[in-house]
Amino acid sequence: MVQLQIFGQYLKQYMKARLAYRLDLIVKFITDLISQSFNLIFIVVVFGHTKQLGGWSQAEVIFIYGYFLLPWAIFGTFFNLWSFNDRYIIKGELDRVLTRPVHSLLQIIMESMTPESLIGVFTGLAVMGYGASQLDLYWAWYDPILLIVFTLGGVLVYGGIFIALTSISLYTDSKTDIQPIVFNVSNYGRYPVNIYNRIVQFVLTWLLPFAFVGFYPASYLLDRGDWRFYAYLTPLVGVVYFAIAVLLWNRGIRHYRGAGN
Amino acid sequence: MNAIQAEKLTKEFQIYQSRKGLSGAFRDLFNRNYRTIRAVNEVNISIPQGEMVGYIGENGAGKSTTIKMLTGILQPTSGDLKVNGFDPHNQREEFVKTIGVVFGQRSQLWWDIAVQESFTLLQKVYRVDNQKLLDRMIDVLNIGELLDQPVRKLSLGQRMRCELVASLIHQPSLLFLDEPTIGLDVLVKENIRQFLREMNKEFGTTILLTTHDLTDIEALCSRVIMLDKGNIIYDGDLTRLKQEWGEGKKIHLELDQEVSLSHLGQLTESLPVTWSKNEVNKNLFTAQLKGNSITASEVLSLLVTSGVPIHEMQIQEVSTEEIVRKIYQEG
Repeated sequence: MVQLQIFGQYLKQYMKARLAYRLDLIVKFITDLISQSFNLIFIVVVFGHTKQLGGWSQAEVIFIYGYFLLPWAIFGTFFNLWSFNDRYIIKGELDRVLTRPVHSLLQIIMESMTPESLIGVFTGLAVMGYGASQLDLYWAWYDPILLIVFTLGGVLVYGGIFIALTSISLYTDSKTDIQPIVFNVSNYGRYPVNIYNRIVQFVLTWLLPFAFVGFYPASYLLDRGDWRFYAYLTPLVGVVYFAIAVLLWNRGIRHYRGAGN
Repeated sequence: MNAIQAEKLTKEFQIYQSRKGLSGAFRDLFNRNYRTIRAVNEVNISIPQGEMVGYIGENGAGKSTTIKMLTGILQPTSGDLKVNGFDPHNQREEFVKTIGVVFGQRSQLWWDIAVQESFTLLQKVYRVDNQKLLDRMIDVLNIGELLDQPVRKLSLGQRMRCELVASLIHQPSLLFLDEPTIGLDVLVKENIRQFLREMNKEFGTTILLTTHDLTDIEALCSRVIMLDKGNIIYDGDLTRLKQEWGEGKKIHLELDQEVSLSHLGQLTESLPVTWSKNEVNKNLFTAQLKGNSITASEVLSLLVTSGVPIHEMQIQEVSTEEIVRKIYQEG
């Protein structure tokens, strides 16, 4: 409860600082929109050459992509850890964080969150809606609840993987370039996994489970039963990966050697 | 209960040593050379509640590492450590509520938001609502006009005063100050020192002060701990430090007429005094007293009874800075 109050305070402060740069906010919104449209155009171009992709129609692939944007936007809002190494390790801001009575990871999440990224949720819902309008989908009363649960599970998967990668910085001083690589892999999760090679499918399911962020839950909502089992696993995979990440983080904090003066 | 109780506190770092040249770099890929460095070596520190202690040492002596262990940022390699009754690293979140920290070279405040907002946020983080204390600190440090400005627009002196308030917002019983007056002008320094004295007197705040500026320590601390290469080489009174290591006083004399150095030497033969003469002004002489066994008046009475015409005189105490320099040079 107290943590939540502090969270609210940080959010308030962030908005105050952010609203001072209105132009910045608009530019971010527009670039976001442009990059999403490029991805959509890519899908449309692919389906200009073929009617089906591994048994999936254009509308279905667009629906999956739209769904993927939901956890993606929430992830981008709260787990903005890209500059962690520069800002907290090299510049030594982690020292300050560690002298405050709130969990270090929570502080860093609160300090680097970008609530404006939540706009992506609406973009995602719009894209999903467009895909669904071309399809004849059956919506059970509990499907919206599952949608939320799946989305949160996906956020945890995404967050867990990137927290784990970020905590590498706590163990070693040298910079690693593994984040952008994994980030690229994450894009595979927004297309049907059955179009990939078996090894890639295995990786996306069990090692870097990005398929749980996009494809598995979306396929359930598209009434495709083949992956139902995986879809139900989404929240569990999310919790497990996130828990492992937090453990790695806590261990990393013990290893942390501090920046020199 | 002591505010700080450290026994055989040690911190070791593994340093990765790279080999020379390209072939060396290639070998490093497969077989890395590590060297263990003891930044802090079995240090014992005990500081009672309410004391103001200066912690000094050259760059790389292990000061920052010690402070980081005491504040819970780093985990000690070995040794026992209790600060305010807590194990700083393992009970970090509970522990840090009882301490305040100012790292002079790094801001503790949020860069983009106004000072007042930072204070509000900190009050929430520490779950305190002590507006009276806050108002008073703002008043004493004279930062009322800065409250609505973002931190990045403040000057160093302004920022440092805000940092101090931020570090004391939850009224901690122990305050760590790392170079709090670095780069500040004399007036701000004095303002800060006055404020710290007040806090110490009124709330019994224990203060551990790390600094290169020994005038800070002279102004605030009765006790000083000196660190060199990870070991404590002195721990005790500032005055005792001066007595043990001080070269003794200097007497500067301006005479009415020129006198030969050997004449002065003969007059004070019985005392451990060495004389020197100013190269430019022939009438200026300096007597260096060895140790603390003799007083200036003994020297002066000898001179006066022998009829040396003294026009003007000045007695110079040894500065702490000189003493510290001497200790480090002699090892």
